[in-house]
Amino acid sequence: MLRHLFTLIWNRKRANLLLISEVFFSFVVLFGVSAVLITTAKNYLAPHGFDYEQVWRLEVRAGQGLEMPRAELDDVLRQVKALPGVQTVALTSGNMPFIFNTNNSIFRYKGKESPTTNVYDADDHYAAAMQLQLREGRWFAPTDDGSNHRPVVISQDLRESLFGDAPALGKVFTYGVPGAEIKPENEFLVTGVVENVRMSSDFNAAEPAVWLRLLPYDTTHWETANVLVRVAPGQGGELQEKIARTVAGVTRQWTTEVRVMNDDRLSKRRYTLVPVVGLSIMGLFLIVNVALGLFGVLWYNISQRRAEIGLRRAMGATGASISRQFLGEMLVVTTLGVLGGVLLAVQFPLLGAFDLPAQRYLLAIAAATVAVYVITALCAWQPSRLAAAIQPAMALREE
Amino acid sequence: MENLLATPTQSRPQPLLTSPAAGGTPVLQLTNIEKVYQTSTIETVALNRVNLTINRGEFVSIMGPSGCGKSTLLSLMGLLDEPTSGTIAVDGRLVTSYSDRELAGLRNLKIGFVFQSYHLINDLSVVDNVEVPLLYRPGMGGKERRQRALAALDKVGLGARTGHFPGQLSGGQRQRVAIARALAGGPEIILADEPTGNLDSVMGEEIMDLLLGLNRQDGVTIVMVTHDEQQALKTQRVVRFFDGSQVG
Repeated sequence: MLRHLFTLIWNRKRANLLLISEVFFSFVVLFGVSAVLITTAKNYLAPHGFDYEQVWRLEVRAGQGLEMPRAELDDVLRQVKALPGVQTVALTSGNMPFIFNTNNSIFRYKGKESPTTNVYDADDHYAAAMQLQLREGRWFAPTDDGSNHRPVVISQDLRESLFGDAPALGKVFTYGVPGAEIKPENEFLVTGVVENVRMSSDFNAAEPAVWLRLLPYDTTHWETANVLVRVAPGQGGELQEKIARTVAGVTRQWTTEVRVMNDDRLSKRRYTLVPVVGLSIMGLFLIVNVALGLFGVLWYNISQRRAEIGLRRAMGATGASISRQFLGEMLVVTTLGVLGGVLLAVQFPLLGAFDLPAQRYLLAIAAATVAVYVITALCAWQPSRLAAAIQPAMALREE
Repeated sequence: MENLLATPTQSRPQPLLTSPAAGGTPVLQLTNIEKVYQTSTIETVALNRVNLTINRGEFVSIMGPSGCGKSTLLSLMGLLDEPTSGTIAVDGRLVTSYSDRELAGLRNLKIGFVFQSYHLINDLSVVDNVEVPLLYRPGMGGKERRQRALAALDKVGLGARTGHFPGQLSGGQRQRVAIARALAGGPEIILADEPTGNLDSVMGEEIMDLLLGLNRQDGVTIVMVTHDEQQALKTQRVVRFFDGSQVG
């Protein structure tokens, strides 16, 4: 019977081409949506590599035209840290986790080039404030003050891209155009390696990161100081007010804004979800359309083949075998469409498109395949039942 | 291979009979058959108390004006429809309580159908069309199906057209394919619903000769609905219907 179905479908190839194309394009769309959803879900389930709970973000602003002397800033940090409920205070750059501010670059080591890497400034307390997970070496310490190169801590993925399996601690990598003279401030000494971090959003993958130690610095011309504050569990608005008053107590011209990092995360999550949800809705809409199209085509197909159904019943087919035949035909057509789709889809892992692991594409192929078969089987089920219910005597008399 | 179309046939006018030929073995027995088509407003009696027995090896014609119930009768004989009341027996066994599966099996094994409009599947080649009834025969492999289909096509003189498609054949050739399809399963009975109705007189004669040959040489029981008095007279028995009732 299978050979008969293939013969029938092959001989009706022109009529079936549209159906096969429809299945093919459905597969491609489902593959794309599946790949995005699987990637998003995998990212969501992966660890962040730091602890954003109980971390607040302070933006201390000197105000336009005003100076921010180092001594006064140190005083602010010291007084904030001394507040009951505050555990750690760390100074960093403006590109803090979950906000729309990025600073990235590409680094080199002995001819190897890193992928685009997020660059953060961090003081000696940053690791404690963010609870980064150290894999090798150590975080910055006052002993680094005498270092010949700027001390840095790198993420595991950056370490792998620059040093492979070789030791990274004590190595010096650089930033700059290849062939050009490298300035001493663009040479970075690796003091530690931390676990990969996902600081962009809940749904983004880990990105290579490097933390540059804030060297003994002059803050006079800073407009804004970005401060991370780790607080004890249960702290809320009262402590936030105290922090704002503390900053104002040091200098009345400075202002401060306190934000909870978890709020930033949730806000960024909503923003990141918009395209994913949009794509899913579009995919769903398309699939519903395809399903309705398939349903209509099959319905029409069966109405056009009533005489054939009557004939087959007369020749000895049961109602169930008629139903199986139409389901079988649809599954053969689906298989042809899916085969075309799979041929296209496997190019993605083979070509390493979008830097996604092959396993993720294979999962998306499997998901799209299952979805297409389920959709076509559901669409074919009711028309096939109708075909089975056709009275052979009536159908044979109609023509 | 014998060309059945070349077989000479004789016109054997028969007296109008309504009873089975004496001494025959009944292969189909219809007893007190009524068929009523009912809608919400109209009740149409298609067949009214029909009693008819077809004996093995008979060639019976069923005649009557359009709408008199001939095709309905043929559908009932072919187990394609159920009577409103009355019983049908095949080889002496009542089929009234048979399931869809059992009826389908019986149709497949015992009955071959030939239709006025051929009912060939246009997207299948001639040989694939002839194989269709064999697809529903349990345990029959592809090789045997093909052999049987080719033999049936040889029998109707279309051994050289196996790869053609119905659209490439004349009306007479298509009807011969339909007869080959009916023969492929080796049925005891062929039910032919106006097999020459769509053909010109020459082709009609060819098909009629073919059916007569099958009946006389191979002993196939044939029940044929026809409007053609001349063709009916070539068969062994003519049963006449009018307004759903057997009148002769």
